[in-house]
Amino acid sequence: MKKYEILEHRADLKIRVFGKTKEELFLNAVLAIKDGLRPKIQSTKSKIRNIKTESSNLETLLVDFLSEVLYLIQVNKEVYNKVRFKKFSDTEIKAELSGQKIERFGEDIKAATYHNLDVHQEKNGKWQATILFDI
Amino acid sequence: MKKEDFKKITPWLWEIPKSFQPDMRVPARIYASEKMLEESFKDKSLEQLINVATLPGIQKYALAMPDIHEGYASPIGGVAAIRVSDGIISPGMQGYDCNCGMKLLKSEYSEKEILPHLKSLATEIQKEVPSGLGRGRQIKLNIEQINKILEGGAQRLVQQGYGEKEDVENCEAEGRLEWADASAVSSHAKNRGRDQVGTLGSGNHFLEIQKVGEIFNEKVAEAFGLFKNQIVVMIHCGSRGLGHQVCTDYLREFIPLMEGKYKIPVPDREFACVPFNSPEGQRALAASASAANYAWANRQMIAHFVRKAWKSVLGEKSSPLIALYDVAHNIIKKEKYNIEGKETEVAVHRKGATRAFPPGHPEIPIRYRESGQPVILPGSMGTASYIMVGTREGEETFYSTAHGAGRAMSRHAALRQTQGKQVIEGLKKIGIIVKCRSLKGIAEEAPLAYKNIDDVVEVVHQSGLSKKVAKLIPLAVIKGE
Repeated sequence: MKKYEILEHRADLKIRVFGKTKEELFLNAVLAIKDGLRPKIQSTKSKIRNIKTESSNLETLLVDFLSEVLYLIQVNKEVYNKVRFKKFSDTEIKAELSGQKIERFGEDIKAATYHNLDVHQEKNGKWQATILFDI
Repeated sequence: MKKEDFKKITPWLWEIPKSFQPDMRVPARIYASEKMLEESFKDKSLEQLINVATLPGIQKYALAMPDIHEGYASPIGGVAAIRVSDGIISPGMQGYDCNCGMKLLKSEYSEKEILPHLKSLATEIQKEVPSGLGRGRQIKLNIEQINKILEGGAQRLVQQGYGEKEDVENCEAEGRLEWADASAVSSHAKNRGRDQVGTLGSGNHFLEIQKVGEIFNEKVAEAFGLFKNQIVVMIHCGSRGLGHQVCTDYLREFIPLMEGKYKIPVPDREFACVPFNSPEGQRALAASASAANYAWANRQMIAHFVRKAWKSVLGEKSSPLIALYDVAHNIIKKEKYNIEGKETEVAVHRKGATRAFPPGHPEIPIRYRESGQPVILPGSMGTASYIMVGTREGEETFYSTAHGAGRAMSRHAALRQTQGKQVIEGLKKIGIIVKCRSLKGIAEEAPLAYKNIDDVVEVVHQSGLSKKVAKLIPLAVIKGE
């Protein structure tokens, strides 16, 4: 199954993310960010970060979670390719991210936005989200 | 919505009446030629403009500049003046990059004198001013130092020796909004800002070495210290990760407040507004001002490093780079206007619009008091930029004018139509040096992806929002290591 696809947008980065479960949907959004940044990895040594996000519903939880991931990416100069969810509800996430230190980013992703945000479950049970990032 | 819904006021100004939609509080106006208006229907920018007209407290009109394109909540190129006594403040109506703006440095050299050094200058400037995507600045400020910048802006850096007295004088708000309060900015935002003072960022942010190609108004050009073939340096950037985090933080906090506590009905939740005079609104204003101060400090630090590069190539005794002006195009400002015969304080939200104060305005430096405020309008990469001047007619738009060319094509579409190498070759053919690490970035910012700056400038000139003073031609484009 495709993890995500990039959609047409005039100025920013718009993506559609897929997942068999909500957890996989959130993970694939993290992977889309990682690819979008076009990072040059500095070392393969694993870096672990803990994250905790609360929000009022699943939609805003996704954006708030990704905002927190972007914050960790920017201040630590790291990218993340694994997420271990310790707690996952529609309003709260506790997770452990792991990834690597980077030498440089090829692109900047500055913010996850609520603009035309959509998170929904398809008839076949799979999850899908559309998110716009400010770059 | 269709073209027939617009009333033609002049060939450069179109209006949608308040009656168009029941929730509109004021009419919506767009400054554009007929052709540009027609092109604006290609995206959602005009619907977004109508949404701006519904904001509580909005005065006179929801305004769109000719470089309008679709944004979040408000279109880019949107202006809303909101009465502070009963209106809202909207972080979404300012944009993520708080105080994204322009600074122009003038040299005393002519093109002929600089051409032999152009390549070394471009190389040295690129080395001195990083994009911030790689190693960044090697200095990491502590939180205490960041707090001082948030409250002191460019003034703080000039006090520390990173600039001249004129840098502060020739800057909107003298490089510091006094209502800033560092305690309104989250530690997340401060952390993102620690190693980014003096970095350019990516995307459409750039540095250019340019020459004055044409003078339209001799008298004003003289007052601005501009002459034909003069070499100038243009800086376009903003508040980097710090400003984005401030916007992210307040959108996150305000959307539930707007829908819950304050029950403000707006058509797009990304306006994320609360009453201006609420405690939350005042904190957002202080945070926005802090991020604006950070951006002025960032451009000041960049100017410092450009000057360092300048001296290292041209020698210690080379004539200095003097700031013409520094002006924001994403900002929320408290300003006073005469509305229906009454002096009214408004929070002017400019999102992709430049402030352009007229001659005689008390908030511009004495040296420009007679001519009006310099306005810096950047073109897209490799095309012309303009210096304009504020006018009295500009009062109609709360002294706001355009901010640049405005995107006309997605990054994707630009990548499909052109390649970085091809763009660089094309620019080389017309004598422009490009210093950029990312070929993809070059293709995404190719001139074909933007509206024609000459068309945008013509509309603001003809409608009188600001007047043409000089046209600047790029010689070297620098995008940062």
